[in-house]
Amino acid sequence: MVAFIRELLRYRTEFRIGLALVAVVLLLSMMASFSPYPPDSVYVVPPDLPPSLTYWFGTTSRGQDVFWQVSFAIRNTLLFGGTVALVSRLVALAVGLVSGYKGGWVDRALMSVNDTFIVIPLLPILVLFYFVMRDRISWLMLALIMACFGWAYDARLIRSVVMSLRQREFTQTSLFSGMTTRQILTEEHLPYVVPILFSTTMNNMVWSIGLEVTLAVLGFTDINTPTIGGMIYWANQHTAMVAGIWWWIAFPTIAVIMAFIGLFLLAVSVNAHIDPRSRLWSTGEAS
Amino acid sequence: MHASVEQPHGDQEAQPLLVVRDLQAYYRTSHAGVRRGIRAVDGVSFTVRRGEIYGLAGESSSGKTTLIKSIAGAIKPPLEIVGGSMEFAFLSGYGGLHRAARAELERIRWRHLSYIMQGSMNVLNPVRRVRSSFVDFAYPHIGGSLKQFEQLVVAHLARVKLDPSVLTAFPHELSGGMRQRAALALATICRPGFIIADEPTTALDVVVQKEVLGMIRGIQRETGSSVLFVTHDMGVHAHITDRLAIMYAGRLVEEAATAEIFRNPLHPYTKNLISSLPRIGEDAPRAGLAGAPPNLADPPSGCRFHPRCPLASEICCREVPVMREASSGHRVACFAVNGGDGA
Amino acid sequence: MSGYAGYVGRRLAQFLLVVFIGINIAYVVTHASPIDPVEQSISAVTSFGNTAPDAIEQMRKSLRELYGLGGTPVQQYLTFWKRILSADFGPSLSAFPTPVGTLIGRALPWTAGLLTVSTLIAWVLGNLLGGLAGYYRQSRGLKLMGVIAMGLHPIPYYILAMLLLILFGFIWPVLPISGGATMNLPQTLTPEFVFSVLQHAVLPALSLILIGVGSWFLGMRSLVSNVLAEDYVVYAELAGVNSWRILTSYVMRNALVPQVTGLAMSLGGIFNGAVITEKVFGYPGLGSLLVDAVYAGDYGLVLGVTTISILSVSVGVLAIDLLYPLLDPRVKVS
Repeated sequence: MVAFIRELLRYRTEFRIGLALVAVVLLLSMMASFSPYPPDSVYVVPPDLPPSLTYWFGTTSRGQDVFWQVSFAIRNTLLFGGTVALVSRLVALAVGLVSGYKGGWVDRALMSVNDTFIVIPLLPILVLFYFVMRDRISWLMLALIMACFGWAYDARLIRSVVMSLRQREFTQTSLFSGMTTRQILTEEHLPYVVPILFSTTMNNMVWSIGLEVTLAVLGFTDINTPTIGGMIYWANQHTAMVAGIWWWIAFPTIAVIMAFIGLFLLAVSVNAHIDPRSRLWSTGEAS
Repeated sequence: MHASVEQPHGDQEAQPLLVVRDLQAYYRTSHAGVRRGIRAVDGVSFTVRRGEIYGLAGESSSGKTTLIKSIAGAIKPPLEIVGGSMEFAFLSGYGGLHRAARAELERIRWRHLSYIMQGSMNVLNPVRRVRSSFVDFAYPHIGGSLKQFEQLVVAHLARVKLDPSVLTAFPHELSGGMRQRAALALATICRPGFIIADEPTTALDVVVQKEVLGMIRGIQRETGSSVLFVTHDMGVHAHITDRLAIMYAGRLVEEAATAEIFRNPLHPYTKNLISSLPRIGEDAPRAGLAGAPPNLADPPSGCRFHPRCPLASEICCREVPVMREASSGHRVACFAVNGGDGA
Repeated sequence: MSGYAGYVGRRLAQFLLVVFIGINIAYVVTHASPIDPVEQSISAVTSFGNTAPDAIEQMRKSLRELYGLGGTPVQQYLTFWKRILSADFGPSLSAFPTPVGTLIGRALPWTAGLLTVSTLIAWVLGNLLGGLAGYYRQSRGLKLMGVIAMGLHPIPYYILAMLLLILFGFIWPVLPISGGATMNLPQTLTPEFVFSVLQHAVLPALSLILIGVGSWFLGMRSLVSNVLAEDYVVYAELAGVNSWRILTSYVMRNALVPQVTGLAMSLGGIFNGAVITEKVFGYPGLGSLLVDAVYAGDYGLVLGVTTISILSVSVGVLAIDLLYPLLDPRVKVS
């Protein structure tokens, strides 16, 4: 595992950039613990100040320091993405593994349901959900419902990996050499599945954060918990763009784009590195 | 299991179709900053005559695939031709396909030189009908009207016992054996002078294998093509090749008429190879060869076979034996056979 | 031919399953609410102004029926389905008494047009460029395009749409940033109207295309590099088949097959994006309708748009599925 990461660092520019971006974003989110103001208080600083040495990212029309707001927002946004990714991983793994190892009608039935979840347009359903829940909607509730929808694509991926692993020679060899199914799964197959799990986690976070930002911008989430989308929502409410308070929108946008590109690059580079052909390209074996 | 021995004689022998001289083809890699060279083919020389089926045998990782890749000009990094030359009768002066001009290549490919690949069941484009493969591959070389071309293809398909209807089929609609035969027809439709066949029958079951080998033989006789036939399967060699070269760890160790090799193998490696073939009526267990094939990134000094050789002496570790004629047309690279210092 | 019939049968079954599960999810979501949705909707509507008491009573009645709050759970469920199947979502509360169906009918062509055109452009362009980038790996221009695609692809629709809005609305105002066509033009097929529609579609379409192109580009590039190693490509190269022919008929043609499946699978996601893009650019499609309906507390309209969205995306997927055998002859067998 360590060797794998070291190799990635050495040969994958995308991985290095992705890691750097994610590190910056993480650092920013960890700063939130040192904030002098609680996240939801308003009018704690003079409003509408442009970025300066005192207020690095400026202040909002609601009298909040944009820097600390971004810090809280990106922390909550990342936590949100992480929660969705974690929960949906469990479902994706369960469905993918069962489908891939069982095969037959179990596989067919699961994949029919799976494809349904891939196809259904989620946003109208989430909007409908918000519509009936209104103010009772909470951060966690939204994360859980997104997780219920966000597993399907990755379950299919995990299934296809499992199916190809099952057919490979070493699986047969280990079967004949008397390894138990559990041993084969954990010792032989897991090392292949882990990087894929990692890259799908990154992609899933990109997906769920994107949706959360979208919903929050429209005001369809719990707008009192600061998230990146929530910040943009409040900025829009105060017509920040028209009023020239550009920093209120620009800094959260930059932060979330950095997070997106960082996570995406991590996913892409790990994915590419598992593929032996492109691995040859990047490590210069095909100089 | 008797090979048909048809030694070409006279002027045919005077103008060989392919002459390979001292070919060296290495894989050059640099992994984690360490540069390495895998000497997959290291100083191989041989000649393929007109109208013969020249066999190349050797276990996997003996370098035979690299050798035919080099001859076919399919050289992509990290594979590199480090030294030596490969001269075709129909393409002189370049020293190998990889150095030939593009226009020249387009002229000779498929017209003079074609391939039957390993896993040739998968060489047909899966999303297009079989006909379009024939048009793409052969029509530019044959020309004429499309109708005439199609008649030619139908006639040629009959040689491999395929119905004209396969032309309108998609590859997945044909059985494995049919695809194999379609690929064979595709490789021979232009009546090329030289055909490279890389394990063409390995994936087939024995009955189909025999049939396909018969067809290759039949078409080769009819068109007078030369075939470089590569397989690790000595049984197939005995069945189809005229002359046979044995490759070990990137070098040729022995070459002779196929029947001669089976009757009178000289090199200790060949001897082992022949004696390990099962014979009907014998049930004694066969003695395998001790040890494993060498790592070509760091091959043994001297004769590469010496760590596994029962006859190895001190000189074998120091010096590289060269191919020498032990009897007429029978060359072998071994100090124990050739005697002396081998120089 | 029976192979194709079997394939169509399986796709139709999948289509029905998608619709069935989708509608059920909508049912569960609407009935999971702990608060009385009817009273809430009514209070949301009445808070905007004075509504006649008898209109409110009519609303309450139609809402009760729509939510299916009367009767046993089974009856509620059946009523729900009856509503959906007869496409009867009652009158819109926010545009009372216009039926929800009429509003949706007005918005649907805008969304369908915008989505079809921009998805097709993005798909064709992304696959073409991605295919070239996979085949000509050394090309600097195509490598740069890959880097740009990697940067663009993960950005959510909303952010990109907003950036375009700022760029073309405030910094360099050359394009209309809102609406589907100039306000007071008659909506008939006059050249002015068509031009105005196209002009207004540029920005929303551009934001959809920019994000779409990136993902098709990246997907196609990696598919092509896999196909390049396939026996039939290696063989055709050895045979000296014309390299343009190899690129088009061998490499791209085979790599496109999974991209068509990919298009079907991502239609739902693309629709999500369109909803947002429409809202940002005030485009008069389903997306704007949905968001405005939520703001106005118009339950019938929200449910209607959600249902129609699920249905139209499924129809789109089915259409792609049925065209798929044209590209991949192998489906008839499996």
